[in-house]
Amino acid sequence: MAKQLFEWDYSSYPGASTYPHLFKPIRIGNLIVPNRIKYAATEDNLNGRDGFVTDAGVAYMRERAKGVVGGLCFMQGVYMDEKRQGQGYVGQAACWDDKFVPGLKRIADAIHEEKAVAGFQLMDCGRVGAVDVEYGHGPSAVPQRLRIFRPVKEMSKDEIKEMIQQHVDAARRGIEAGFDIMEISGIVGYLVSNFISRYTNRRTDEYGGDIRGRMRAVVEIIQGVKAVCGSDVPLGIRLCAEELLDDVRGNTPDESMETYKIAEEAGVDYISVTLGWQESIYPVISRDIPMGNWIHLAKRAKEHVKVPVQMAYRLFRPDLPNKAIGAGELDQWEMCRSMIADPLMPKKVLEGKEDEIRHCVACNLCLARLFRDAPMTCYINPVCAHETNPEFADPQPAEDKKEIMIVGAGPAGLECAYMAAKRGHEVHVYDKRDNIGGTLNEARKAPYGDDELWTCVAYQQKMCELAGVTFHLGTEVTEDLISDELPDAVVLATGPEYPEFPGGPHANVVNLLDVMRENAQVGEKVVIWGNRKPGIGCALYLAKQGKKVTLVGREKTAGFDVNPSFKWRYMIYLRQNGVKAYNDCEIETITGEGIIIRTFDGYRIPVACDTIVNSDRAANEALKKVVQSEGIELFVIGDALVPRNLSSAVHDGYRIGMRI
Amino acid sequence: MQFDAEKEIGKVLSGLRAAQREIGKTFYRWRQVALEYAGDGVEPLDVGLRAAEVFGKDVGKQLLPRLNWLKGEAAFLLNLGRALANLWQVDGGVATAEKGEKPTEVFIECTRDPWPTWAKEFDVPMQEVALTREKMLKSVLEDVSVFFNIPLDIEVEKAIPRGEGMWRIRLFKKEE
Repeated sequence: MAKQLFEWDYSSYPGASTYPHLFKPIRIGNLIVPNRIKYAATEDNLNGRDGFVTDAGVAYMRERAKGVVGGLCFMQGVYMDEKRQGQGYVGQAACWDDKFVPGLKRIADAIHEEKAVAGFQLMDCGRVGAVDVEYGHGPSAVPQRLRIFRPVKEMSKDEIKEMIQQHVDAARRGIEAGFDIMEISGIVGYLVSNFISRYTNRRTDEYGGDIRGRMRAVVEIIQGVKAVCGSDVPLGIRLCAEELLDDVRGNTPDESMETYKIAEEAGVDYISVTLGWQESIYPVISRDIPMGNWIHLAKRAKEHVKVPVQMAYRLFRPDLPNKAIGAGELDQWEMCRSMIADPLMPKKVLEGKEDEIRHCVACNLCLARLFRDAPMTCYINPVCAHETNPEFADPQPAEDKKEIMIVGAGPAGLECAYMAAKRGHEVHVYDKRDNIGGTLNEARKAPYGDDELWTCVAYQQKMCELAGVTFHLGTEVTEDLISDELPDAVVLATGPEYPEFPGGPHANVVNLLDVMRENAQVGEKVVIWGNRKPGIGCALYLAKQGKKVTLVGREKTAGFDVNPSFKWRYMIYLRQNGVKAYNDCEIETITGEGIIIRTFDGYRIPVACDTIVNSDRAANEALKKVVQSEGIELFVIGDALVPRNLSSAVHDGYRIGMRI
Repeated sequence: MQFDAEKEIGKVLSGLRAAQREIGKTFYRWRQVALEYAGDGVEPLDVGLRAAEVFGKDVGKQLLPRLNWLKGEAAFLLNLGRALANLWQVDGGVATAEKGEKPTEVFIECTRDPWPTWAKEFDVPMQEVALTREKMLKSVLEDVSVFFNIPLDIEVEKAIPRGEGMWRIRLFKKEE
């Protein structure tokens, strides 16, 4: 008999009529889930190094549970072996002993308190595990291509049996902790996927061979866990629809579909469609991949199995899964990064408040942090991983209400503005431009998905509107204006200064912003001075127009300021577009034909060009002394403080906004 | 400011040549240190071979992200052969890789090899130079073979340190 854990009635909410397919119930095994929303298990590195759940982890999950409005809310995958070979993240939750159950119960309880369905995931990280020990484990000892991962030792048959039992035991503990639905992780290079892939499974015994042999361990895990779950707790599995490992002779898409059918035969109640491994050379989830790019894989899965099919992967907008579910191509909408950026994202969809969603910009900083043993952080959401800190999560009204002048309506200024206004301050935002967004107006024009960055400004604009921020656009803040207004506090969010070009003023030198605004004459051979993100964006923008572009800069590598999980995309695009980069260099001279650059160790190289674009930035000192001389409280944020990236601007703005 | 291209290229080239000379000298200086610490009972050749194995294994690991199977077996083998030839190139040698008659073989030829000259400066026997190069290349193939699930080997047909005028090495897929 199917059961529903919590009653939800969405009929009065606007989102339920706009996206009817997202807010209708679905049966998974014997569980009725009231909607099609799922927060998919996501590592956060917020647990103790010994695997125990922390307050931060519970608070993080509670917020996501609020967001799914009665849907599925999965905690991160747990590792299950005491030897910790299956542990892939330093702050991953553990479940190899009953002693972890009370902590896990706190998470299940928190999810239930928000009337959501609590999901538990079993995740042995296999080939990409052993984060704190010398050797990982896997079906075969295939060398690592990425040196950040540990060497792998081949598992004996006894060890395979032990691993299967660990899954079963951990599932039992998850159920004891109060979780309602169980999931096996078989994605991105974790142990289950290692067994399935011909790339990493070279065994000649019954756990290797053809796809059925390579699925044997998985089938035994499913059967063992299913026996513990019984008919009350549904069991699902996350499996690759495509490994994207054809360069190393991985599985074919047909074999992957075969794994879906075998998993279904073995007894799973749903399948979550994933793709790609951490070792794949193809991008899957970065913002250069169009939204909805992978829905065809869910559709393909639906053609092969009868159980419900779930999927995430560049489905940040509700219209995409709503349409796919309506068309019978998908059953449930999974989210990871969308709900890292905004934990209440689906709730806002339901409430018809889509313009209040802080959208993920698919930068993958969250992943970059996890791989470097750091707690989760979001590029765009300053509260992420600070949910347990009331100063961040619930900023209190200001004790002294102030009149605040914010100079600059870029991401830093806007973030600060709405937060300060929400806390009761009277906030006035000035910008000499006629529109908001600051230099993001230009940055969004860079190719490969950078227009998605604008979602940040759209969100901030709405927040400012709700908080009652007053805008003075087209108004340059001068010494006189400050003296006339005499605000209680001034926040300088003016953006960076563009210092004089190192070779001195020259007719062929143009400013980056003018280029992106198409206000500058740009020839066919272009040198971009500055090898950080703005320079890269401009280089790609011009290269896409067919120009021959050379990137020259002081940083040791181009894209020094881009997180590594996205930087590799830029490096490939630079190469594909024929952009040559000279790093760790200075421009020595401008000649009639171009420039001469000098490497850090003194070599000189001539580069022919007819235009030089200056993208170098510096802190903006303008107005600082004026404000200080008036005795006004002063804050400097964003690129005006130190030129960095969008994330720094947002985080600076939020932090000053909550403290001013 | 005048740019003298010949002068600048000359500067870069002389820096490169100096760095290349250091490669070989550094290897043999460390060999000397290892032998001193190892004591009298140790065969120098064994030390050299072990060092070649360590070098080769590490080079093999470096190659893994740069090789792929996207264009099939023959292209994979040729790319691997070129990568092995390139080991000589970066040391200041002259080497190429060409397809063999069979699709599963590639020939690497090196017509100029700086290693015998460097070895001579440290009184290292030429036989050791030949054997350590062979060992190094075989060690490169170990991880590559396992990673791509293809049994690879090399066969030295000619070797400069053996007085045969050139290196000719057959890289091939072993019969399974």
